Amino acid sequence: MSTVSYDGVSRTYPGNDRPAVDRLDLQIDDGECVVLVGPSGCGKSTSLRMLAGLEDVDAGTITIGDRDVTHLAPKDRDIAMVFQNYALYPHMSVADNIGFALKVAGVGKAERMRRVREAATMLDLQELLDRKPRALSGGQRQRVAMGRAIVREPQVFLMDEPLSNLDAKLRVSTRSQIAALQRRLGITTIYVTHDQVEAMTMGDRVAVLNGGVLQQVDIPRQLYDKPANVFVAGFVGSPAMNLIRVPVVPDGVRLGDHVVPLDRATFARIDHNPEVILGIRPESCRTTPQDGPELHVRVELVEELGADAYLYGTAALGSDRHTDIVARIDPRCAPVTNAMVRLTVDSTQVHVFSASSGQRLSS
Amino acid sequence: MTRFIPTRPAGRSPTGPSSTGPSPRVRTLAQREARAGRTLLAPTLVVIVLVIVVPIAWTIVLAFQDLRLIDIRRRGLMGDFTLDNLTGVFSSPGFYNALTTTLLYSVVGTATSIGLGLVAALALRGWFRGRAVVRGFMLLPFVAPVVAVTFVWQTMLNPQFGIINEIGTSVFGWTNPIAFLTQRSTEVSILGLEFDVPVALLTVMAFQAWRYFPFAFLFITARMTAIPAELEEAARIDGATPTQRFRYVIWPQLLPVIALLTVLRFIFTFNEFDDIYLLTGGGAGTQVVSVRIYDLLTARGDIGAASAQALVLSLVLVILLGIYFRFFGRHLQDA
Amino acid sequence: MAQTHQSRCRWNRDAVETRVFGVLRWLVIAVLVLVTAFPLYYMVMLSLRSLDQVVLRPGVLWPAEFDVSTYVSVLTSVADGGQGFLVFLRNSFVIAVLTVAATLLAAIPGAYAISRLRFAGRRQVSALFLAVYLFPAILLAVPLFVFFARIGLRGSLVGLLIVYVAQTVPISIYMLRNYFETVPVSLEESAAIDGCSRFQIIRWISMPLALPALMSTALYVFMIAWNEFLFALLFLAEDRDRWTVSLGLSQLAGSIEIPTTVLMAGSVLLTLPIIGIFFLAERMLVEGLTSGAEKG
Repeated sequence: MSTVSYDGVSRTYPGNDRPAVDRLDLQIDDGECVVLVGPSGCGKSTSLRMLAGLEDVDAGTITIGDRDVTHLAPKDRDIAMVFQNYALYPHMSVADNIGFALKVAGVGKAERMRRVREAATMLDLQELLDRKPRALSGGQRQRVAMGRAIVREPQVFLMDEPLSNLDAKLRVSTRSQIAALQRRLGITTIYVTHDQVEAMTMGDRVAVLNGGVLQQVDIPRQLYDKPANVFVAGFVGSPAMNLIRVPVVPDGVRLGDHVVPLDRATFARIDHNPEVILGIRPESCRTTPQDGPELHVRVELVEELGADAYLYGTAALGSDRHTDIVARIDPRCAPVTNAMVRLTVDSTQVHVFSASSGQRLSS
Repeated sequence: MTRFIPTRPAGRSPTGPSSTGPSPRVRTLAQREARAGRTLLAPTLVVIVLVIVVPIAWTIVLAFQDLRLIDIRRRGLMGDFTLDNLTGVFSSPGFYNALTTTLLYSVVGTATSIGLGLVAALALRGWFRGRAVVRGFMLLPFVAPVVAVTFVWQTMLNPQFGIINEIGTSVFGWTNPIAFLTQRSTEVSILGLEFDVPVALLTVMAFQAWRYFPFAFLFITARMTAIPAELEEAARIDGATPTQRFRYVIWPQLLPVIALLTVLRFIFTFNEFDDIYLLTGGGAGTQVVSVRIYDLLTARGDIGAASAQALVLSLVLVILLGIYFRFFGRHLQDA
Repeated sequence: MAQTHQSRCRWNRDAVETRVFGVLRWLVIAVLVLVTAFPLYYMVMLSLRSLDQVVLRPGVLWPAEFDVSTYVSVLTSVADGGQGFLVFLRNSFVIAVLTVAATLLAAIPGAYAISRLRFAGRRQVSALFLAVYLFPAILLAVPLFVFFARIGLRGSLVGLLIVYVAQTVPISIYMLRNYFETVPVSLEESAAIDGCSRFQIIRWISMPLALPALMSTALYVFMIAWNEFLFALLFLAEDRDRWTVSLGLSQLAGSIEIPTTVLMAGSVLLTLPIIGIFFLAERMLVEGLTSGAEKG
């Protein structure tokens, strides 16, 4: 068990101008589970593969515990990895798959079998030990891949989208099993996913990457409540936060016919810029009349999801300007398509970002 | 934020002096991979260079020396250089005859073996009971040892007791048995016109088509199974007849592999030695260049002339391939 | 068949073609089977007849009585008045097996390197290997003949072995490379993380997964070495004890003293192992040889 640390780590693929990972700084505590999340091509997998030793590091250092592993071969790093396609050895039985790393390490047969059984019991695989991978279901294969990782008791677990090959239902149950297992074993884990729900539920902390650059690392709650920039604000949360470019007025920002007041500190950080980007979560809009700024919205579509409903519409911002907007509404009094509704915005829950840099301005 | 990342982090790494420049001990993944690659390939490379590349280079050297087989124990690698061998190649009528024969043999042999392979592949396309066995039969001529099959052909074509001449004289009413492998040519009259038919050359060409059509059959069959069935079903729904389906659906799909086969078969036929040497010994108008080289080497012991002819043979092949690639390179890319 | 819109007119082009090709197809199959199988049948049949019978009645296709004395004669050693094919068989077998072993030993790491590892010169090396087949064997024969004569390897099985390996390694690498490329990279990465060195990855992951390709390559190489004739002729012709079956048969085929039927028995002995291997492993061989073509 160990800490993991990326210090200014960069990777540029041969023939590319832009680095796939650009000066990544990330410290992961002992026993912590950190999720790397971002859209495809954001560098999350490259970051993981550099830690695994499957990818060269062009600049910076990676340390596990107090060992510099930047240029060590994968076999010398004492890590275990679960691959997206599981990478089970098709010519070996489940038991041999799980025990392969121990066999390579020269662990004796009796000891090996004991540890394989132990891992298999933990993952409910005892009945399947003699089978070949092709005779297993998707979920079983996933568990074998997990078994192969835990049997080694490595310093670090690496997981590269381990759930993306499972169907939606199995994904939810396996997600919680992996989270529970990780907590029980207390092994430092780096988990890569493109699914933000997975990221928010699995990680002690979540690191959001985009374009090879780390955007924000924080606990899930904080990521949702205080996104550091426009990208994180738009990426975390479903449906995404409404991001509206609005003009700055003396005591706040103008939203349609109304003024959204801002606190002093935020206002000071706007620093005379004429415009900012206002972020409003769908759940911060209400159809019921309340105090606060109002938007006139033409309803285009209502998505009913049972407990919730989401309204997709176009809001008038005055003088011919319009913006698309999403709001969470009460499904029992959902408006019809093309109806005009008033949405009240909870002005205490808005986020303000710089229109030029995209950085967060509100506290 | 500046985004300038030096491609070579050595020494000037932004993280400071503690970071990792490539020092002699520390190798990057790419360097380790390259090292492993070279190490793993080394044994093969050594053998290839020793037994293929060096001899080819040496042939070039030998081609410019006046060297007899009996001299080789006494002489070093570098003797007196001369152009006599090369001028000898071009001034001897035997060489031009052999080259013409080689070209004829290669073109006809390539075309017939691929044509026959295509016909066989089409005939065996649909499933029927026993197809696997028939497919196995199709490959027999190719896998059977060349010495055995040439011997059987010689026996079958034997004028005294060969089965072909026996059937020819008793069933088809030939007046005389035909010496398929030793007769240079015979006069045949068709519709009142007299033709000179090169008997032995046609026989070795037939042997070549027989022995190598399985090779074409294999490749074409493999390609044909990869054609999605939907393509032909769509053509059938569009009302295409079997010939139209072949012409517009199957043939275009096969074209790349046929282009590839043409190159491969042409190279192999052009360089062919065993078949002709074993069937006719190069006699009766079947002396191709490679057989001629062998004769020069063993019967006359003339290493210099043999090397010069081998060199010219390769050059002719390279030129022909160059022309071919100019016109059909695109199809080959697809294959 | 059902939805021809001119169902009244039964003789439209489609129907005619379908019928004609339906018949033609069986005709072609029959001719092809006859043409491919008959020479081998003829070989076996002739080996079981006596020469007098063959000369007297050459048209017989099923002998009245079987005569196996030809096989005894061809296998018996020269000292005992036979042709000594037993020794030739042993020589051929030893050379073919050693060629397979040596070729695979070089080709497995070579093919792995070319299919998996990135290094400068990789493409040039692949091109070099294919260029090998551009040159006639006879071109290599001249300098190799000279070279082996000088270092005294001419007439030795070792010299022949080296030549065979050089001739079979490129095609073996080509066959194996296509297969190694189908092994998912993540399996090897997984093995690397499980603690394997490069060598261990090849030994424990790539090789077991490529086993079918290894088998087919081995059989193909065996076939080439067993059937080879030119270099055997150049290197071994002088010493009868070192002849391979191919060489022995070709050397004796010209002789008048040995009955053709006895040599036919020799042909059968030369062909039988290859045909046996072939029918046992046809599928594997075919797939191994054409796996590159199918991608097109």
